[in-house]
Amino acid sequence: MANKKSLHIESSGQLCIYCGACVGICPLNCIYLDETRITFDEKVCTRCEICVKACPVGAIEID
Amino acid sequence: MAADLKTDVLVIGGGPAGSMTAKWAAQAGASVLMIEKRQEIGSPVRCGEGMSKDWLHDVGIKPGRWVNLEVEGARIYSPSEKVFEINEKHAGNEVGYVVERVEFDKQLAIDAANAGVEVRLKTAATGILKENGKVVGAKVKQFGTTFDVRAKVTIGADGFESQVGRWAGISTNIAIRDMDTCLQYRMTNVDSDSRYCDFYLGKVAPGGYVWVFPKGDGLANVGIGVQVSQVQSMAEARNYLDAWIAAHPGYAKGKKIDMVGGGVSISAPLKQTVTDGFMLVGDAARMIDPLTGGGIANGCIAGKICGTVAAEAAQTGDTSKAFLDKYEKGWRARLEEKLYRNWLAKEKLTTLSDATFDKIIDALAGVRLEKLNVHNILKAVHEKYPEVTKEFEAFL
Repeated sequence: MANKKSLHIESSGQLCIYCGACVGICPLNCIYLDETRITFDEKVCTRCEICVKACPVGAIEID
Repeated sequence: MAADLKTDVLVIGGGPAGSMTAKWAAQAGASVLMIEKRQEIGSPVRCGEGMSKDWLHDVGIKPGRWVNLEVEGARIYSPSEKVFEINEKHAGNEVGYVVERVEFDKQLAIDAANAGVEVRLKTAATGILKENGKVVGAKVKQFGTTFDVRAKVTIGADGFESQVGRWAGISTNIAIRDMDTCLQYRMTNVDSDSRYCDFYLGKVAPGGYVWVFPKGDGLANVGIGVQVSQVQSMAEARNYLDAWIAAHPGYAKGKKIDMVGGGVSISAPLKQTVTDGFMLVGDAARMIDPLTGGGIANGCIAGKICGTVAAEAAQTGDTSKAFLDKYEKGWRARLEEKLYRNWLAKEKLTTLSDATFDKIIDALAGVRLEKLNVHNILKAVHEKYPEVTKEFEAFL
């Protein structure tokens, strides 16, 4: 899947407030939250962009 | 490698639903382990901190220092800021307390611990244990060490972002129109009225609302929920909330001292919340009221049933889905009708224009309703704006 868009979750704390909104809405269950970090499974993610909309603070970008 | 553990009941998540489940299971004689992934029960808060109070006695929660203040009612503001006031007399205790969630959650965990529950902090579930298709516990990690907890009954109380339910094979996926993205500031030096919880409807918060829950002395939680299906661009919850605050001088002068966010499900009830050896409860089971976004009461009410059934199952040795259906039937009997009705109302309300909201609130503001229910509301609106109630024929 070389031509997938790039998804970036800013979870260093600059924007992300670790609220878990993206984790709970992800239809493929491929976003993970531990206490200080949010990650996603690059291979499973289809770039549906739902998490981008669900994030209340704009910490998830896609391009 | 730490030694594996055995317990009758394993509760994953130490929020209100988890603590209630754990407490009622322990009180019914089961050995109970409740694990919480964070270092502190109740923190970080992800909540507006407003709750009704008529249900507390039923589930054995006593008001304590977690009560911030008791409000007299709620005020619903239309887009042009006509006001409809709901007070206790006709809202049937739908309004009630503004609370300190950190203290509330801790009190419930203390109640659970005092009932005999073992509580472990910094302990996260990393997977579920299954044997022949039946859930028999979870793989957990505490302070960096991984071990198995074998349980007769495992309960997922891991909140909105629940993983445990999905691991157990229960679909908790929701549509984007069934979720709100939420952001809230705790603000000081604002002109909130300590007698009321305030709600602002319309395009200020598409598909949701702005809330102001007073905490006394010019302190208030000022927050917003926006329906995800109506989000157009990044950071929309924050942008809408900031715009609302900027447009209200009584709040624009305030200072933010705290910021919390989160997802809230506003969905119809799940089709299934139990499977062999496993039950799901609270926000994880999508039990949040789709109209208000409130999840505490329903999580606690279901938690009591869940804990009681879990203990019974552990003691009889029958932890099959067929036995645990007692919980499924129990919580549905208590909550499902209202959840479904409020979901239908939400589906309708999220489509209304600002002009329609104005008419509805204007009609309601001018009458005294004896009792607040859908029929009385529609009747009052119909008398003044019959064209509006056409849209609500399904509810009559």
